[in-house]
Amino acid sequence: MQKAIRATAILLVVGLLFALIIYNSMNPPKPETKVWEKGMTLGDANSAEHVFYDYTDIMCPYCDKFAIAMDKHLDDFKKEYVEDKKVFYELRLTNLLAGFHPNEEGLVANSTNSALAGYCASDQGNFWGWYGWILDKMNEDFFSKGIGDSATAKQKIPKLEVKYFTGVGEEVSGINEARLTECVEKKETASKLSQNTQKSAKIISGGLPYYVFNSYVAPGFDGNWEVDHDWENARVMFDAGIASKKK
Amino acid sequence: MVFRKIGKRVKYFATTALDRAKFSLVSIGFLLKRPAYLLSFLVALFVFLYLLSFFKDGMSNWSLLCSNLPFGSKLNILGQVALKILNNFTDLYGVLIIFMSILQALTVMLLIFTWKSRKKDQAIDGASTGSIGAVFGFVALGCPTCGLSLLTPILTAIAGTGAVAAAEGISRILIILAFILLIYTVIKLGYTSFIAISTNKYKEKKHAKSN
Repeated sequence: MQKAIRATAILLVVGLLFALIIYNSMNPPKPETKVWEKGMTLGDANSAEHVFYDYTDIMCPYCDKFAIAMDKHLDDFKKEYVEDKKVFYELRLTNLLAGFHPNEEGLVANSTNSALAGYCASDQGNFWGWYGWILDKMNEDFFSKGIGDSATAKQKIPKLEVKYFTGVGEEVSGINEARLTECVEKKETASKLSQNTQKSAKIISGGLPYYVFNSYVAPGFDGNWEVDHDWENARVMFDAGIASKKK
Repeated sequence: MVFRKIGKRVKYFATTALDRAKFSLVSIGFLLKRPAYLLSFLVALFVFLYLLSFFKDGMSNWSLLCSNLPFGSKLNILGQVALKILNNFTDLYGVLIIFMSILQALTVMLLIFTWKSRKKDQAIDGASTGSIGAVFGFVALGCPTCGLSLLTPILTAIAGTGAVAAAEGISRILIILAFILLIYTVIKLGYTSFIAISTNKYKEKKHAKSN
């Protein structure tokens, strides 16, 4: 009898845990609809029929799987979703990983400096150019070699110099390298980054990346670093987002 | 003197545990030779492999299934998860998933046998410990800060986003606990099954002799 009561109690606790997960995923906090950073958006917020917020951190491996696939198919995304389906997309860049892993000195510095550089590039007017450039660079230097901050990576990314994130040379039009470096070193965009990261922390409930596409909300991105495969997975998510629009 | 006593106890415990593990392996081997139990093991293995592969990506598959996607797309997602079972053989987490699924399937098979052998108390005991191990496994696998673990939504629901910082440490502890509990359950149920099998064999022999 006692054992049966114990087993029932255990089953109840297990059931409650899963109910908590499901309740949490069904009732996500509502994101702020005001644009956070104009330079990190695609489409027109005023005439949009669909709204897609993508919470990310440049040092987050699964965010970058999605971001690299997006970058390689950016023209397809702009044509099919932004223009035809009137999607407004905003990348909400954070340094949340610095807070998630406070004891990993390298990750804290990289997460913060990469995000600062992102906001600085946005201030210079070509965030998307810089973003594509840094994603390619990180993929070539780390992810393609199995180096990264994911649970299965062979090796962690070491602490990188500020120059790693700002050394664009002539590769990205409209970005002045010296000015970008100065902006990151002087932490000119720190308050913007800190503000947006704090707001993100209140929204996300399942780790990064975190997607809010109309009323479709999903943490995590399932991909395998094969751009076209990842793009197909991303498209399934976009379709789920568009289908979730309440009429 | 005290150390000698402790040493003796540890030695006794280790020997008993090892013996029980050996006996449970014998009973597992015996049951796997029976088609009905082999089938229950294989079905349970597939179910656990499927579920663990489904939740390996945290809530992303679940979110897609709950979305307004057409039925065909949802079926496609479910099919993709079945294919992911094969991908498990290529990475470390996949191997953990396979090993955990084998332990869970063995637990189910042994539970069926002990329940049928009228050892319901032991079966309930095994079911309780085994289910805690299984839940720990489900919750902890994946990358907690990457949105690829069920642990993060639980932690954030209880303690807010700040708790994500602790998620990786907790997930490692839970995975270890899951394996310990599942191995303990398999050994315990396996040993009970061994006794039941031996008793049955003895009874059969006695019955044959008396005839």
